[in-house]
Amino acid sequence: MTYKALTLTAAACLVAGIANAEGSDLTVFDWSGYEDPGFFGAYVEKHGSAPTYSYFGSQEEAFTKLQSGFEADLAHPCTDATRKWAAAGLIQPIDTSKLDNWEAMLPTIKEVDGITFDGETWMVPFEWGNTGLIYRTDEVSEDEISLQALTKPEFQGKVAIPDAASSAYAMAALGAGVADNYTNMSDEEFKKASDYLRAVHPNVRFYWSDAGQLDQALASGEVLAGWAWNQTELNLIWNEVPAQMMRGEGKGIATWVCGYVHLSNADAPEEQVYDMLNALTQPDSGKYIIESWGYPHSNSEAFEISDQELIKTYGFDDPKALFDNSLFFDAVEPELEAKMLQEFERIKSGF
Amino acid sequence: MITLRSEASQGMALSAPATLYVGLLVAAPLGILVVYSFWTQTYVSIDRTFTWENYRLAVEDPLVRHLLIRSVWIAGLVTAATVALAYPIAYFIAFRTRHKTLWLLLITIPFWTSYLLRVFSWKLILGFNGVLNSALMTVGLIEEPLTFLLYNEVAVVLTLAHAWAPFAIMPIYVSLQKIDRSLLEAATDLGCSKLERFVRVTLPLTVPGIIAACLIIFIPTVGDYVTPALVGGSDGKMIANLIQVQFGAANNWPLGATLSLMAMLAVGLVAGCFVLLSNLLARRIR
Repeated sequence: MTYKALTLTAAACLVAGIANAEGSDLTVFDWSGYEDPGFFGAYVEKHGSAPTYSYFGSQEEAFTKLQSGFEADLAHPCTDATRKWAAAGLIQPIDTSKLDNWEAMLPTIKEVDGITFDGETWMVPFEWGNTGLIYRTDEVSEDEISLQALTKPEFQGKVAIPDAASSAYAMAALGAGVADNYTNMSDEEFKKASDYLRAVHPNVRFYWSDAGQLDQALASGEVLAGWAWNQTELNLIWNEVPAQMMRGEGKGIATWVCGYVHLSNADAPEEQVYDMLNALTQPDSGKYIIESWGYPHSNSEAFEISDQELIKTYGFDDPKALFDNSLFFDAVEPELEAKMLQEFERIKSGF
Repeated sequence: MITLRSEASQGMALSAPATLYVGLLVAAPLGILVVYSFWTQTYVSIDRTFTWENYRLAVEDPLVRHLLIRSVWIAGLVTAATVALAYPIAYFIAFRTRHKTLWLLLITIPFWTSYLLRVFSWKLILGFNGVLNSALMTVGLIEEPLTFLLYNEVAVVLTLAHAWAPFAIMPIYVSLQKIDRSLLEAATDLGCSKLERFVRVTLPLTVPGIIAACLIIFIPTVGDYVTPALVGGSDGKMIANLIQVQFGAANNWPLGATLSLMAMLAVGLVAGCFVLLSNLLARRIR
């Protein structure tokens, strides 16, 4: 009798223990680094543990892996990928009535193409930022720098461009003055953008695939200008390298928005999925990413409660100014995207 | 209980695991590749109607031709450089030292580190702020860092030749080791000079080892992807990088399959011609 009771108690403890430890059934397919618990404190508080994370290095890799049957509940692509993912049946629509912070989202970010289309919402925006030309301010003056200047012989071997067709073509569209039609360029506009990249190609030191490579090259002076994310600018500022992102009207800058999508093959309870989405979009999660990562968040209330000193340093005091006149990374028309990818390979090889 | 077994069935039993392995992991994927190469990609789905379209695209595309030729060229350079450098080392180990095991062990030491790390160390050596540039600048030979060291064909050849050296040394060493020493003595007795003896006896007898070394290096390096991706820049890109793009970013598996098969065909042709030629040449020398 005592023996049996003991076993039962032990079993009960074990079950309870497991239930506690396995509080979260969520699997999140993400970029590495985003498992930072500061982003979803409320979720951990409610469910007792953080979700399980699995990582990808590029959106294309994530797409290929998901298409060949990889299972997760949430994934973290950017807005330019959502149309393709939806077309491939990888993601399911989001029920915005279950999102506590939907109303507080920055309107411009919420309205980016790729968040809502075909009458459904497919992504909950989380973080965003600029992609632009980052240059060494001690070597190139503010008046000299422009996207067009990169084709000049002075920049020979001093330019870095991302090894990603969509990003390179965003730069090209801005450089060639056809940015208004970035997502559905006509043949003529596409040729102009390609010609721009061809003109820059002889000056390209390398096409970067990891941001660390670019950060180091800019810091050492190996390259003087590179098309990159805001993270690179921050890294350089933190390391006291005289560099900044080229801003200012008509100079050419782009904005990216990334967020979380609900995967079609998700098997975690819906309640947990939405708890996670709500935790990610809370103002205090936003405060955390703004202050410790230097990325702007999607929730407009996050900016008010963050350290205003930092907000000023990062230029977030007027979020609108960051994306005014900028090109948004919207989903490019499938045919154009395929053309960009094939043409970019030629350009990189000097054709 | 089977007590009587024919030699044939014994042989079958012995080779069954290998056959199964090769069948499942080489032949089957290859078959899938062939099938894919005749399909086409339409956005996110695959059109399964039989077509030669991918082959037409690949054959007509100057980029594919250019990259294929460059891949064969780079792999050829790597093979030549590696074998030329490996032969003296193998010769030394086979004929000039008593500590053969120690030397062979030393040669395998680079393999104790991951290949990726070795590529990165070349980046550190050849880089803008790299070991070589810093050293040259400290000595005062140059004022500005040299930029032609990294991100080009030369960097790819250098990195690959370093990485593949042991694969050339081993087969050449084995073929040198196998040489009957009395043949060399006979050559000397019959009045051969040292050089004549090497060219007419030693070298022809090691041709199988040299051919093995060439093939072992040439075939995998033609399709190398990670080295050109990391140190090749835009001048050092190879066909495997284009294939990778098709399976990754471009999401066009059928075209990727076609390119892979074309690369295999090119490798097969070049390697076949090479074996035929070198056998002919070896017979001429003898």
